[in-house]
Amino acid sequence: MSNLVLYQLVALILLMAGLFGITQRKTLVGMLISVELMLNGAGLSIVAASQLTPANAMLGQLGTLFVMGLAAAEATLVLAIIVVVARRFGSTKTSDVSTLKG
Amino acid sequence: MEHMAKIAFGLYTLIILGGSILAVGSASLVRAMVGLIATLLGVAGMYMLLNAQFMALMQILIYVGAVCVLIFFAIMLTRADGKGEEAESAPVRKNVLALLAVLVPGSILAWLVMTKPQPTTGIPVEVAIEKLGLGLLGPYALAFELISVVLLISMAGAVLLAWERRGGK
Repeated sequence: MSNLVLYQLVALILLMAGLFGITQRKTLVGMLISVELMLNGAGLSIVAASQLTPANAMLGQLGTLFVMGLAAAEATLVLAIIVVVARRFGSTKTSDVSTLKG
Repeated sequence: MEHMAKIAFGLYTLIILGGSILAVGSASLVRAMVGLIATLLGVAGMYMLLNAQFMALMQILIYVGAVCVLIFFAIMLTRADGKGEEAESAPVRKNVLALLAVLVPGSILAWLVMTKPQPTTGIPVEVAIEKLGLGLLGPYALAFELISVVLLISMAGAVLLAWERRGGK
């Protein structure tokens, strides 16, 4: 196996861990942690694919930088949503957050 | 040198594997976050192995420095209790379904990656930091500016959402 395949498999491990977490966790914070795992896997895959192939390496690194920026923005918003949910429902379990208000 | 790289790759893979298992399976959210930090540091090591030092630095700065602190604030602000938020075990059916949801796309992707090898150069190329900066200010300036707008808007939105109204409803 080439080096690229090994790096892609590690990124796949991160994706699988994140997918498992996001389907199995019961709190919003646990799901946020899983999303961060998946985004890291995506970044690792992009950087490995751009560094180890004849593709444009600068473009890959900049793309991963943008993924990191988007992850930071997403974490900020999810933090605010978690705070609002915790204030309104008293917990952040996904099973408790079950009422809609029109 | 080749052997050192292989040993380092195996070590980082072990760190990533253990950290992600801790992050996904731990009953206490604080321990899950410690696992997440270990995973992020392992990925930073992978970036070092890929000859992308700037990315490794940014990974530690942005993820370990900022995102993990945000997640820690989220844990603190939701009054997490000590015995663990995920303590009661999930029903077996849910675990089996979650495992199925992981294994189906995971095995398809692994099969694709292993059977369709891409042409590789073998040795990671090096990109000077000056080239990255020039790229951000030259051809990709629009994306750079847009991501700063996205960050600004998300911060403003977070403040607006979490604002505690006094004397209101």
